[in-house]
Amino acid sequence: MLRRILLPTIFLILAYGFWISPDFKTIAAGVAIFLFGMLALEEGFKAFTGGLLERLLRKTTDKLWKSLAFGVVSTTLMQSSSLVSVITISFLSAGLLGLAAGIGIIFGANLGTTTGAWLVAGFGLKVNIAAYAMPMLVFGVILVFQKSKALKGIGYILAGMGFLFLGIAYMKDGFDAFKETLDLSQFALPGLIGLLVYTLVGIAATVIMQSSHATLVITITALAAGQVTYENALALAIGSNVGTTITAILGALSANVEGKRLAGAHLIFNVITGTIAIVLIKPFAASVDVISAAIGIAADDYTLKLAVFHTLFNLTGIVVMLPLIGRLVALLERSLKARAKHISEPRYLTESAEAFPDTAVEAVRNETLHIYENSRDIIAAGLYLHPADLTSEAALNERIAASVHGSPTDIQEAYETRVKPLYNAVVEFISRTASGWEQQQMADLHWLRNANRHLVEAIKGTKHLQKNLSIYVRGDNAHIRDEYNRLRLQIASVLLLLEQLRNGEDADVAILALDGIRARLERGDEAYTDRLYAMIREHRITPQMGTSLMNDTGYAHDIQRDLMGMAETLFAGPERELAPAQRKLQLDEDEMADALGERAASNDPGPPPGQADGA
Amino acid sequence: MKTRKLLDKLVAYLDGDARKRKKEKDEIKAVLKKLKRREKKLKNLLEETKDDDKRTALQKEIDIVHAQRKKGVRLLKE
Repeated sequence: MLRRILLPTIFLILAYGFWISPDFKTIAAGVAIFLFGMLALEEGFKAFTGGLLERLLRKTTDKLWKSLAFGVVSTTLMQSSSLVSVITISFLSAGLLGLAAGIGIIFGANLGTTTGAWLVAGFGLKVNIAAYAMPMLVFGVILVFQKSKALKGIGYILAGMGFLFLGIAYMKDGFDAFKETLDLSQFALPGLIGLLVYTLVGIAATVIMQSSHATLVITITALAAGQVTYENALALAIGSNVGTTITAILGALSANVEGKRLAGAHLIFNVITGTIAIVLIKPFAASVDVISAAIGIAADDYTLKLAVFHTLFNLTGIVVMLPLIGRLVALLERSLKARAKHISEPRYLTESAEAFPDTAVEAVRNETLHIYENSRDIIAAGLYLHPADLTSEAALNERIAASVHGSPTDIQEAYETRVKPLYNAVVEFISRTASGWEQQQMADLHWLRNANRHLVEAIKGTKHLQKNLSIYVRGDNAHIRDEYNRLRLQIASVLLLLEQLRNGEDADVAILALDGIRARLERGDEAYTDRLYAMIREHRITPQMGTSLMNDTGYAHDIQRDLMGMAETLFAGPERELAPAQRKLQLDEDEMADALGERAASNDPGPPPGQADGA
Repeated sequence: MKTRKLLDKLVAYLDGDARKRKKEKDEIKAVLKKLKRREKKLKNLLEETKDDDKRTALQKEIDIVHAQRKKGVRLLKE
């Protein structure tokens, strides 16, 4: 209801304003151009999210000071704390970031955004900024029409900056001219009332424009034209800081609980910082005077002094809040509790993860890992094993050697409840998000789709295998029991190896390390056929048992192959950009035979240590 | 002559295929570095291992990593 009324009301007020004052029109156009510039800038930076941001985030957020620095630098470069907070929420939802790191980035972004005030006050108002805007716009738009995504991105960034500059120039001109017709400074309010009212005005303006930058630029240009008092401008700056959290809150509405917690942290930080600034406005103003005098800012250069104030109170907020990050995380985790997710509910496929191709791919990857964990447990249960048995070779051997009790797990039911809903969600998520993506991201999704299919096939295979396995491993015939235990061990060993690979040092060349496991698998039980026929011949097992074993050995092989196929994609390691290169270096059947055959022909495994010549 | 060289460089930069090939080669080089490290690690492990079955398995893995490295070097030369 409110929304329906709000937009026409804003339109009416603006139209009335345009009608009575052409200067107001200039200012409003300036704001519109400025906001359009920010949109173009965001579009430009989005062009560079194809892997670069992901890598950067991973490398720059492992320590709190790095997260802070990332927040400061990225916001300084992009000149939009809103974009940085939305990206952070999106990455947090996709599981790429921890909450403490996310909060660090948000704190840093608050400091980074103050560079905007410095740029406008120190550069924008002092030079003919429109003169810089024109070539930027021309070059930018030409680049926007280029085919290459990188050039297009640069084009949007240039055009965005051009529009920002142009918008600032329009606002400046508008306020200068406005001064002659209407003196807004007559609405100045002194004292506490003025502080509170203008803080609210700052919040409202930022909420409407969804940009603290825009509010700040209007404030600075109005201050330069003498349309607002310095005192009221300080309050507007405080208000813009609080109001900017609305973008993060809106962004978090569609995020998972982690995203909501981050938006909560953003709100708490900015409200506390704002409150400190309001309560201590006098000492702050005095400090600004001292700092300004010390760094050579003239006493009457109020715009630059506003920039000093903006930086100072955000810095104070960080100094106050930084030691409390741990408590803040605990508080948010207590108050915004994650709804206990059912095992069949997707954990990562949130709407906010759809925002960037990188986060969407990461969300699918993490959800597929979730499916893998559920599938691993189902396959283990189908083999009468516990997930804990898959932690070491010794534990596994012990369990396989022990006798099997209990009724078999209903694999179909486990699949229907623990895997299929997630698989459905992944397929739906991919179909919804994957249009217009880069080739690399499409390729990632292709492999992830394959990984999911392999997992489903592996479960199906386990279901087929379980039929006879559950009879023979609990039966009286020790020979056939041993053979089925051998199958259990083979599959479980692959699961164990994969777990080790996933968590071990070789994760960065996982695809190639899998070649070794595959070779072991293909050349594994060479004596199997001879043994099988001997057992039938010697009546240790019936021919019926023999044919069951043959079929089930096939299923066991398929399960292992599917698990390997899944692992190739899913465990591609932290340096996933190297995955295509690794696939090129994988050995095909002939190359594998050559590699192993040469060795067998030339020498044996070599002498045991002590006799070795050190080669 | 200098301008010509610069122009060639510019053309090479703007040539998407050439850039893609260079990126692919760089990635293979990065993987080869990691494989070299892995082979060394496996060889050290082989030295320390006494169990015959495990030694055979390790030796096979070393052979495979070596073959992968050889394949990588061949691809770089192509």
